[in-house]
Amino acid sequence: MVIAQNLTKKFGSLSALEDISLTIDPGEFVFLTGASGSGKTTLIRLLIRDLKADSGQLSVNKHDLMILPSGKLPLFRRDIGTVFQDFKLLLDRNVSENIALPLEVRGVKEADVQNAVKIALEMVGLTSKSTAFPAQLSGGELQRVGLARAIVGRPKLLLADEPTGNLDPKTAGGIVRLIKEIHGHLKTTVIMATHNSEIVNHYSLRVISLDKGKVTKDNKEGKYD
Amino acid sequence: MTKAIVTAISRIRRSPYQTVAAVSIMAMTLFLASSFFLLAAGSQAVLRYFETRPQVNAFFASDYVPSQEEIEIIKNKVESSGVMSEFKYISKEDALALYKELNKADPLLLEAVTAQMLPASLEISAVSPADLKTIAELVKTEKGVEDVRFAEDIVTSLTRWTESVRIIGASLVGAHVLITLIIILLIIGLKVSSRRDEIQVLQLVGASTGYIAAPFIWEGILYGVIGAVIAWTLSYLTLLSSMDFLESFLSGIPILPVPVLFMFELLGGELLVGALVGSLGGIIATRRYLKA
Repeated sequence: MVIAQNLTKKFGSLSALEDISLTIDPGEFVFLTGASGSGKTTLIRLLIRDLKADSGQLSVNKHDLMILPSGKLPLFRRDIGTVFQDFKLLLDRNVSENIALPLEVRGVKEADVQNAVKIALEMVGLTSKSTAFPAQLSGGELQRVGLARAIVGRPKLLLADEPTGNLDPKTAGGIVRLIKEIHGHLKTTVIMATHNSEIVNHYSLRVISLDKGKVTKDNKEGKYD
Repeated sequence: MTKAIVTAISRIRRSPYQTVAAVSIMAMTLFLASSFFLLAAGSQAVLRYFETRPQVNAFFASDYVPSQEEIEIIKNKVESSGVMSEFKYISKEDALALYKELNKADPLLLEAVTAQMLPASLEISAVSPADLKTIAELVKTEKGVEDVRFAEDIVTSLTRWTESVRIIGASLVGAHVLITLIIILLIIGLKVSSRRDEIQVLQLVGASTGYIAAPFIWEGILYGVIGAVIAWTLSYLTLLSSMDFLESFLSGIPILPVPVLFMFELLGGELLVGALVGSLGGIIATRRYLKA
């Protein structure tokens, strides 16, 4: 699903990622760990081509992101669901409308959109809040809306960039449990960036640790250091 | 497309002041354009009228009545030059009848004039206004011809006037279209900028540039369409309210009333120009932002 070789990204003279090489197979669940500034978010942004690497090779879902023309970005991104730390919901649209967004931009028929939104709402347990606006929801509910939006199009890859960063420990645990259930149910490849050691240690899954832009550890059943 | 139009209408309703600014400048520019267009079209119609009516009048001396043979000789002479389109002989009696028709409201003028006092004349139409002088030169040496008049000056002045109206109109309207385009671009650019978070989310969930840009472009088109309808209504009302003045000003020149079909064609043109300017503003504004 993801093949990175000698990937390097700099912001001016500051090196955000340096010589990163890793492979993630389809269906894997991977935690991306590291302190703030270690390069987790930069890597996530490279994986959705929100940023372009300076050098190296990067292939995601069989797309060579080093040469992918900008005109083909929308099609590439339709196979990827992304969950953000700050939710990135549209405040003037209600829960259902936010979740429907990835399908609307693809031109999916209204009836099919409604059906898919209904299923996504059931998966994240927000059926009763379908007409609520973001301002009326708690942090945990907002993140569940973000998660529903990320999975409504049945993506092949789910990227979660610090999805629990703004949540209390109990709510955060609920969100990760939900992502794990979705991974089991949809068989989607999941890459989740986090610095929450409790969550990482609880699941015993593959952990890729970053420090100062470099991969320091990559363990199949890793722990947070 | 329907969704993009609905979104555009919703955004227009949510920003009434920007909408008023955009529609006002669009309406003002299109009103100016339609005013100059009507003025140019009117001038062109008057010019065409003068170009196609008998242009050279050759008056015989009032005590001279040409014979039928003499008239035929003059006609053949002018005809052989190849520049004549119509030839008409006005006898003294015809001249009196015309005089009576023109002055029927003033009996005093009618009483004092008889056919003998009026000269016989020739009315000769030219193929082109440029040939008027040739015809005048040909007939003024004919026997009994005392005076030759032709509308060269009127046509020359009208041609210059029409040309000036076109140049000034095109320059002014062109400048205003440019200003309107910039203002629409700025207004839509502001809206694009204020929605950058939404655009970022749309891009990340796989929206194409066309999907993101469509509501902004429709917004520009709607500004153009609304502005065009307002401008056309104002120009039509102005024309209708000026009808009495225009009829007296253009006395005898049959270009009024302006056909309704012509006015609807003008509306079509204004809608097209408005929509083009609006959509161009929307396209440039979104391209600038989405490229950045």
